[in-house]
Amino acid sequence: MTKGHDKVLAFRGLTKRFGGVVALDHFDMEVDEGQIVGLIGPNGSGKTTSFNVLTGIYAANGGEVEFLGQDITNWPAQKVYEAGVSRTFQRSRLCVDLSIFDNIMIGNHQHLNHGLMFNLFQRKAFRRQMEESYEEAKELMTIFDPPLADRMFEAVGTFNMIDRRRIEICRALISHPRLLLLDEPSAGMTEDETRQLMDDILVARERIDGLSIVLVEHEMGMIERVTDRCVVLNFGQKICEGEYREVASDKLVQEAYLGVE
Amino acid sequence: MTDKSKDMLIGLAAIVLGSVFLITFIAIEDQVEILVLIALTAIAVVVSARMGISKRISEAFSSNEPLMNGAVVVALLMVTLWFREDHFPLLMIATVMLYLTACLGLNIQFGYTGVVNFAGAAFFGVGCYTAAVLNQHTAIPHLMVVVLGGVAAALIGSILILPVLRTRGHYAAVVTIAFGILFKTFLEVNDTLGGPQGLKVPGMEIMGWNFNSNIEIGDEIELSFYLNYVAIGLILSVLAFALTRRVERSWIGLSLDAVRLDETAAACFGINIKHWKITAFTLGNFLVGMAGAVFAMMLGFIAPTNFAFGDSLILVSIVLLGGMGSPWGTVVAAGLVILLPEKLQAIQEYRFLLYAVVVILILLFRPQGLLPRGLREYVPGWRG
Amino acid sequence: MDVGLLGQFVANGMMLGMMYALVAVGFTLFFGVLDVIKFSHGDVLMVGTFAGFSTYLGLSAMGIDNAFVQLIGVLVVAVCSMAFLGAVIARYLVLPLKSAPPLNILLITLMLGTVLREAVRLFYPDGSNPKPFPYLLPTDTWPFGSFTLRADSVILLLGGLLVIVGVHVLINKTKMGLAMRAVAQDEETAKCMGINFTMIVLLTFALGSGVAAFAGVMNGLYYNEINFSMGLLLGVIGFSAAIIGGLGNIYGAILGGFLFAALQTVGAVALPFSSAYKDVFAFSVVIALMVWRPTGLIAEKSSERV
Repeated sequence: MTKGHDKVLAFRGLTKRFGGVVALDHFDMEVDEGQIVGLIGPNGSGKTTSFNVLTGIYAANGGEVEFLGQDITNWPAQKVYEAGVSRTFQRSRLCVDLSIFDNIMIGNHQHLNHGLMFNLFQRKAFRRQMEESYEEAKELMTIFDPPLADRMFEAVGTFNMIDRRRIEICRALISHPRLLLLDEPSAGMTEDETRQLMDDILVARERIDGLSIVLVEHEMGMIERVTDRCVVLNFGQKICEGEYREVASDKLVQEAYLGVE
Repeated sequence: MTDKSKDMLIGLAAIVLGSVFLITFIAIEDQVEILVLIALTAIAVVVSARMGISKRISEAFSSNEPLMNGAVVVALLMVTLWFREDHFPLLMIATVMLYLTACLGLNIQFGYTGVVNFAGAAFFGVGCYTAAVLNQHTAIPHLMVVVLGGVAAALIGSILILPVLRTRGHYAAVVTIAFGILFKTFLEVNDTLGGPQGLKVPGMEIMGWNFNSNIEIGDEIELSFYLNYVAIGLILSVLAFALTRRVERSWIGLSLDAVRLDETAAACFGINIKHWKITAFTLGNFLVGMAGAVFAMMLGFIAPTNFAFGDSLILVSIVLLGGMGSPWGTVVAAGLVILLPEKLQAIQEYRFLLYAVVVILILLFRPQGLLPRGLREYVPGWRG
Repeated sequence: MDVGLLGQFVANGMMLGMMYALVAVGFTLFFGVLDVIKFSHGDVLMVGTFAGFSTYLGLSAMGIDNAFVQLIGVLVVAVCSMAFLGAVIARYLVLPLKSAPPLNILLITLMLGTVLREAVRLFYPDGSNPKPFPYLLPTDTWPFGSFTLRADSVILLLGGLLVIVGVHVLINKTKMGLAMRAVAQDEETAKCMGINFTMIVLLTFALGSGVAAFAGVMNGLYYNEINFSMGLLLGVIGFSAAIIGGLGNIYGAILGGFLFAALQTVGAVALPFSSAYKDVFAFSVVIALMVWRPTGLIAEKSSERV
């Protein structure tokens, strides 16, 4: 596990309001290169919102987002992706009518040639790029779900939710991002499946140089096992941060989850 | 005999049978006979679907694409030559081809990209009027005029593109509907483009070959001049078909589908939504405009009444009926929608009503259309 | 410009605005409750008007000549029959497609509009020709110089105003209206709170369609003529008006209706060489407005869960 000292991501005073609701309230967070940071907090505390602001889906009302030394606050989603940020979604957002290969390739947009000439007239070159991409996608899929690697041309809709989760993670990883945002990837999985998933993510991380991960999760066992650090959100504010053990025994955190006596 | 060869034979047999059906259908006049023919064919189709023959035919088509596509074109040529001396059948065949071209354009817009266009007839009309004006007043070669018809439609479409882009789904629909009405009203209200009476269009002429005079071979044979237009129509539709296929089987097609299915996720993976919507809308309108230009030259006369909202809905119905994003579906649907009312005189009057009812039924019970679109195969038959 | 003539234009514009507003309210209600564009709305209006017309014919045939009674009969039949039709459309065409892409509902209602239009054209006796709608309102006129105020205009305007106020009261001050607003905000929560979703949807469609029928009868009474294609243009205009005002917002719809009428009036006045251009003008402005403010003048309340 390469732990660089370079900062990959920083939120500084990030604020997001929806009408009267303050979803993010001067939220600060940092992620170092190669780290896995857990982002936890009760439902509605702003975890997914922070992802959405980071990836350009929502505009921030205040504060900054810094990525690899660049200020990417309010950059459009496409530019954020090209800078090297990739994500999964809380509610699975795959195109169920398209094949597994199609879906993964959507994630690979950066590395594919989308020119009219190339796609319409240079078919030999296109075929080569397609076959190479297929090998890559298949390799990635084999890490997470070997049976699926032989069924890359079947529609995603034919697979169950757990398989779809894994496909979505492959979609996020295919572009070799610098930062991966995982939004509750283990929701609905059994303990064994969750364990398997985290192992697979760690394996994939080995293959991608310098990959950092922010993991939103409710499954505390996973957080404990896998993360280097945790950040706890409540009502859009950071209320605690540190290693999981410290954070779990913090009084404020316990109150946030369990309520005040 | 291998399975592949068997499939190939079945596919070819289907094409031959289809051609025979087409020739018979177009040739016979008696209404009762036509109804009987339709009923028999419908039964045959249903039976072959039940017996799995349809599946084998579609497999034949996907594993032997170049051969099958070539066979279809040859078959169409045969059908055309059968009617070489009759004006009306050839006019119908050419019309089908031109509508097919236009609908393939529409297919790119909303079958793949999800950009609704309820002004298809208006863009078709732009192509028509461009041809009319250019042929009357300039000496621009007519093949160039066809291309310019497409360009004009694409350009005018780009006026709409801003509102279409900045709005989601239903708003974009309003914009195109409003434009369609605007276009027709504009044509009717002023006289520079002929007003409600319409415009005459000089026929096509390429390097001295006049498309509007019958072709005489020796003293005995006089071939209908519509053959010329069928030829152009065939070339256009083959080009449009090939273009559609190539687009779909590429990263472009993938991006278009992503835009249609989930804009937010697509954006998060770097897909430039605006760029693809503009590309699809413009490319589609270009095809529609070209088809319009040829259509005008073929008819020799155009009027605003041909470009009403109802006509735009017919184009949309063809795409829906065939199956969104399914080029072969569009082929079959265009044939059905154009030919059936021409032959069944009784339903001519009722055709808008019937189309509408059929589309409602399709949307309720078989939204994927007659020949549903399959999964993307970047290279036909290749599965890694 | 002659004040009287100006007044004429204004009065005419108000009438148009009122009618467009009523149609737009229907669109906005449907969208609010079900996120649905019901494109058959204009043609439902037309069918309602014809239903009213048939009632008039029927009543006259039965010897009932009192204009007031006829008016009541026409209104009641038109509004109630269209309320019923609206509910039927919701139940059998719209609700089944709830989980399909929204484009499908747009398409199916567009096609339904065509079916209604063609059915009237083909099956109503002499359907393809315009029909004279009876004069059921007092025909008094009060001249003010070159401006003539028609009594029926005043009555129609007041009637339209009453309907709008009525809808407002219904939506904001009754339990049913509360249920409608709840469903418009969040279907799932509304269901959890015990609201019968299907019933509310049917009621909303019935309400919108009934209001449209009223607008149609208004149209017939004002112009004294109806024809099978009157719904198409009114529908598109009503839809544009609803969009200008921001879909889902009733006041926006009303504003949009009057705005569109104002545009048409300005177009007719300012382009005197052909008042036929007024539609071209009005629609161009709508398209331009949508570029500037894609979700309408009053922003559409939409939220998508990411």
